[in-house]
Amino acid sequence: MGQRIALSWLQLKHEKMKLFAAVMGVMVSVVLMWMQLGLMKALFASAVVFHGSLDGELIVIHSQYEHLLHCKQFSSRLLYRLRGSSDVMDLFSIYLAPVEWKNPWNGEMRSMQCYGVETQTPSLTLPGFEEQMHHLRRTDAFLYDRLGRPRFGEVAGANALEQIIEPEINRRRMTLAGIIDLGASFGIDGNIVVSHANFLRLFSERNSGEIDIGVVKLRPGVSVPQVQQQFQALLGKEVSVLTREQFKDVELAYWQSATPIGIIFSAGTVVGFFIGFIVVYQILYTDVTNHLPHYATMKAMGFSGRYLNRLVFEQSVLLATLGFIPGTLVAAALYAGLRRVTQLPLSIEPGRGLALAVITVAMCVFSGMLAVRKLKSADPADVF
Amino acid sequence: MQDDDSQPVISGTGVNFAFGQGELRRQILFDVKIDVQPGEIVLLTGPSGSGKTTLLTLIAGLRSMQEGTLNVLGYSLHRASDSDLLDLRRKIGFIFQAHNLLPCLTALQNVQIMFDLQPDVSQKEGRDRAKEMLTQVGLGQRLDYHVSRLSGGQKQRVAIARALVGCPQLVLADEPTAALDGASGREVVNLLQGLARRENRPILMVTHDARVLDIADRIIEMQDGRLSMEPSARTGEALFGAGRPFAEGSLR
Repeated sequence: MGQRIALSWLQLKHEKMKLFAAVMGVMVSVVLMWMQLGLMKALFASAVVFHGSLDGELIVIHSQYEHLLHCKQFSSRLLYRLRGSSDVMDLFSIYLAPVEWKNPWNGEMRSMQCYGVETQTPSLTLPGFEEQMHHLRRTDAFLYDRLGRPRFGEVAGANALEQIIEPEINRRRMTLAGIIDLGASFGIDGNIVVSHANFLRLFSERNSGEIDIGVVKLRPGVSVPQVQQQFQALLGKEVSVLTREQFKDVELAYWQSATPIGIIFSAGTVVGFFIGFIVVYQILYTDVTNHLPHYATMKAMGFSGRYLNRLVFEQSVLLATLGFIPGTLVAAALYAGLRRVTQLPLSIEPGRGLALAVITVAMCVFSGMLAVRKLKSADPADVF
Repeated sequence: MQDDDSQPVISGTGVNFAFGQGELRRQILFDVKIDVQPGEIVLLTGPSGSGKTTLLTLIAGLRSMQEGTLNVLGYSLHRASDSDLLDLRRKIGFIFQAHNLLPCLTALQNVQIMFDLQPDVSQKEGRDRAKEMLTQVGLGQRLDYHVSRLSGGQKQRVAIARALVGCPQLVLADEPTAALDGASGREVVNLLQGLARRENRPILMVTHDARVLDIADRIIEMQDGRLSMEPSARTGEALFGAGRPFAEGSLR
């Protein structure tokens, strides 16, 4: 028994203010959920941009590695043991440590992350890195992360490379040689990349044989899990041999446990869900209540409970749709704004969109299910 | 069976009905016997609280029978299943004191929606029949008016169109004129009578309204839950018309 008159829509449309309120409620809820989930995802994603840019299938780190700011060194000799394997195409070692950056404009001291990399073969897949890598061979040259926080000064301004920018880093005058995009993250406000030699100039106490990260580039067609196991056995317990994804997971696991970000944003998402839920429930409930005499009349005339339940459910799905689309558009605009201000990698992903669409419909249908219980009190015997 | 002219549309005997339990039990209907023949227009009158409406809700299958037998359109209502009652109600045209038309729909849509109950009627046919019905009740010019733009009498006429559009085998009406002024009440009742007569539809109407008693073939009066008598139309005339032509008297 279907409706051939679009009763559900006509009824929603009949009271324009209520429809507007309900759609706004769903919209706010959708925007909130997008923001919470998007920020959570982006914050975590920002923590592993560097990991993802490592140009190798396997990563070697100290087995007590916790996160980028708490990195234990291991002997480069361990890494170079892998040279003997016919599966290996290239090996890179990376140094990393925080440096003291003196803002060349106002003299403020700030801490930022410094990576020391090979300059013969690119070990990072960051866009523009390969082209600028040769600049790093110059003494005291560095590449500056444009996506870092602005507190380090106007280093990456439009004509940055035309002027000579020579900030003091670890009390050493360095020269800007190029710009890369890496991004700020938990505890890391900015990044610079230097050569191995310049890294050791910045950290005179560091031993060149002690590296932080080893990157293993395998020959094409090699079975990664098999080689991983083999290398782990070869290198022993002091280091962990991980795939790039596993390396990311180690980093993420730390930040997920060390920060309440997951909980905060999940809670925010749940709040968003309930806002929508309550608004839609209120609207549908009052709508059912206001229409009780009409529904009772319809029941008396032979319309089944199912017909009326479906009416309410259709209304809830309509509200979900009407709120989801503008909500997603607003979220997209907010994402664009936030991307500009925070440099966080926020994006409207179709997969998440689908999940949120399902959640939104579920939210509205749950509200409908609660509101529909009120329909039972429409007693057709009371119409007479 | 309902097409069989000799079978009564409604036949009930020994109908007892009470609200509440134990101490609070209050009996509303006592040993009621009622019959309505095909094509008959029967009015049910009596003071308020006499049980007319309760009897009507029992006949409509809106309340469960407690005692007695009641057959409506071939359905035996004692211990009838919910789906049987729903089927029965779809064969009845209802006219209520409060029209309860859906405010978000136009007059036409309010009538057309009844065909949601008859999936075998196409959308176009439903629309045409609804238009036709509204034209018959004199609202052919107001098909697309929303309910809020219609007067009380017009709304009740839409309700009549809604009740009759599905070709019900029985029309149950509860005080259809109570909320209307004399002239519109008269109009509505005449309309109902005309339509029922033309299609030979039986009507059972509860009414207080002495002005409309003349349309009845038969008047049943209830008093304290009992049928106090079952007077013929002639006695009805004697009671209310006092020798004058009844229709005229009722208009005063």
